[in-house]
Amino acid sequence: MALLTRQLLNRGRCPIPNDNKKIWGIGGFRENLYINVERREKEDHRKLILPLTQWKQQVMQTCSATCENDQIGIFVAAGDDIEPLLPFLSVIPLLALDFPVFDDGRSYSKAVQLRTCHFYLGELRAVGDILIDQVSNMIRCGFDTLEVTHSLTQVRLAAHSGEFFTGFYQSGAKLVRSGQRRVWYTFG
Amino acid sequence: MYRYDEFDKAFVAARVAEFSDQVKRRLAGELTEDEFRPLRLRNGVYLQLHAYMLRVAIPYGTLSSRQMRKLAHIARCYDRGYGHFTTRQNIQFNWPRLVDIPEILSELADVEMHAIQTSGNCIRNITSDHFAGVAADEITDPRPYAEILRQWSSLHPEFSYLPRKFKFAIIGAQTDRAAIQLHDIGLRLNRNAVGELGFSFYIGGGQGRTPMVAKLLHEFIPVENLLHYATAIVRIYNLYGRRDNKYKARIKILVHETGFGQLREDIDVEFAALKRSERYDLTLLQADIEAINAYFCTPDLENHPNGRDTLVSLRLKDQAFDCWVDKNVTRHKHPDYAIVTISLKAIGGIPGNATAAQMDIVADLAERYSYNELRVSYHQNLVLPYVALQDLYAVYNVLVASSLASANIGQISDIIACPGLDYCSLANARSISIAQQISTRFSRPGYQEKIGEIQLNISGCINACGHHHAGHIGILGVEKKGTELYQLTLGGSAGNRCSIGEITGHGFAADEIVDAVETIIHTYLSLRIDHGEPFIDAYRRIGMMPFRQALYGTADKTAAE
Ligand code: SF4
Repeated sequence: MALLTRQLLNRGRCPIPNDNKKIWGIGGFRENLYINVERREKEDHRKLILPLTQWKQQVMQTCSATCENDQIGIFVAAGDDIEPLLPFLSVIPLLALDFPVFDDGRSYSKAVQLRTCHFYLGELRAVGDILIDQVSNMIRCGFDTLEVTHSLTQVRLAAHSGEFFTGFYQSGAKLVRSGQRRVWYTFG
Repeated sequence: MYRYDEFDKAFVAARVAEFSDQVKRRLAGELTEDEFRPLRLRNGVYLQLHAYMLRVAIPYGTLSSRQMRKLAHIARCYDRGYGHFTTRQNIQFNWPRLVDIPEILSELADVEMHAIQTSGNCIRNITSDHFAGVAADEITDPRPYAEILRQWSSLHPEFSYLPRKFKFAIIGAQTDRAAIQLHDIGLRLNRNAVGELGFSFYIGGGQGRTPMVAKLLHEFIPVENLLHYATAIVRIYNLYGRRDNKYKARIKILVHETGFGQLREDIDVEFAALKRSERYDLTLLQADIEAINAYFCTPDLENHPNGRDTLVSLRLKDQAFDCWVDKNVTRHKHPDYAIVTISLKAIGGIPGNATAAQMDIVADLAERYSYNELRVSYHQNLVLPYVALQDLYAVYNVLVASSLASANIGQISDIIACPGLDYCSLANARSISIAQQISTRFSRPGYQEKIGEIQLNISGCINACGHHHAGHIGILGVEKKGTELYQLTLGGSAGNRCSIGEITGHGFAADEIVDAVETIIHTYLSLRIDHGEPFIDAYRRIGMMPFRQALYGTADKTAAE
């Protein structure tokens, strides 16, 4: 997170305090059922989010990803490869894909790959530097939830009608092509 | 040409509304310039030396009279009375005010035009052959496929934050008039042994500080897999293209650093996965292509078999007209018609610039003589694609009266030039004044004709918007110790035998560069086999040495540096 703050500072924007995070999905804000590993205190019984590298070590040690792991979500940095996750997708409840800065687009492609080529059915969460103007792209790429820190974006999302699909040329990751329309068309 | 359907209209209107809101938020201070930047760029708005600049797309270079009149109107009402046509089939307005831009975009939307994705790190305007649909050497019209790619790439949710800009060019003819091998992806339509249509894919071309000629990635991708393969390439690029250094972020660097073979394998794996995916069906059906075709109204050309005789006798009578036909008129696939190129390279003028009055005149000509259609070329000229031979003289006379009849297509004064230091915040040197001096220097009657076919390109900095790398003669503005210098390259070419020019040696000062160009021309004239050997052929035969010798008094490369 220090990195994120630094990047925000470098871009001449006020860093927004990180404890002001809110989880948003179509339908509105919701409770965060997960906590990042470094923030969990003793009493906290929420589910964990582990960084991919740490999760890998754990899988290596226990030679299994099944037992308690349906309680463990994974943080996938923008530069991480999703390859090691593929055999375990059916038991991973949440993948948090990172947007270290809003114009780093790698996690969009990963989301689409996870949804359309690897049939991931768990929760896909966008985390990092998320502004209102990226929200529609994220939803269309198959994200379920967004972790929003930017306060104006929170305000705008709260006031939002939920109307993100005024019509696009591409079918979204979760939208199936409908009979007679051109292949790259989808109405929301 | 393509007409918007209801969906297209609604789509563009929604984008205008969205951007108007963003401009409002910016003006209200709700967005910082940093946050606004990628949003305005997505809508073609740059911040330049003196003002904002708006770049409007002319998809695959085709526009109607009505659209051209709208561009004239915008130049007149929101700018200083002119616009600049670029090598990528866009038009740039240099002086709009930010508050006016939503209004301009809404005026553009009225005539089915937009500025979406004309800048920013996304898939840019899809360019094509400016003779598409009318060229005598065409296999099939590439524009329906260009339109499909335009739609597919518009606000693509996955590809809106690429490592860097991404450019497609597509052709359907034997002759490459769209510089496809200088694009991130170049597409050529062709037929396989059993006559089916498909695409050759070239990848990794580009200019800038690391110029590269695109390599053939796949000889034949069937039409139905166009979007699968394009998606596979752009996805691999989005995932693995470098984001740590903007000068190394284009796909050409990924090709170079990953290795061509490895990258091809990665793309093929993704391609296979995409073809398998039922959840994300990108198969391009014949019905889809026909749906698009139906929105392209290709005119039914009337026969005018007597036009040829009329033309022959008029050419005999009027020598200037004869010369103009020779240089600016190209064979049409219909025998009674011709393709007219209107030069935007008046001697001493600004390459690619047109005034509002000129735009209106050209729009009138298109309406009257060219089935309402116009084109914008890679060479920054305008094209009337459907002129009956019998009407050529009438068209010519209107052009003469409007100072648009320069008979110089393919000649040394048909210069490609970027705006340079006069407008651009990134420039090292002026390009416009050099272009003006060169065209004036060679304007003596008979001189250009004697030199023959040649392409001279000028960029004001290493970003190479003036395509200097691809000029037979290229001029690049550089800055050394606070002074403007001009570096020369020779042997570049954008067409079928695409190549990157080689640097001659040390640069020249502003008051020396035109003489240096003339030295090159004299050397060529003295060494060519005969009038039939164009500059580029002669250069390929004799190489750099004689030119270097003439410029620097030494043929040694290091000594010339
Ligand atoms: S080449 Fe350089 S100077 Fe010319 S328009 Fe491009 S960025 Fe500006």
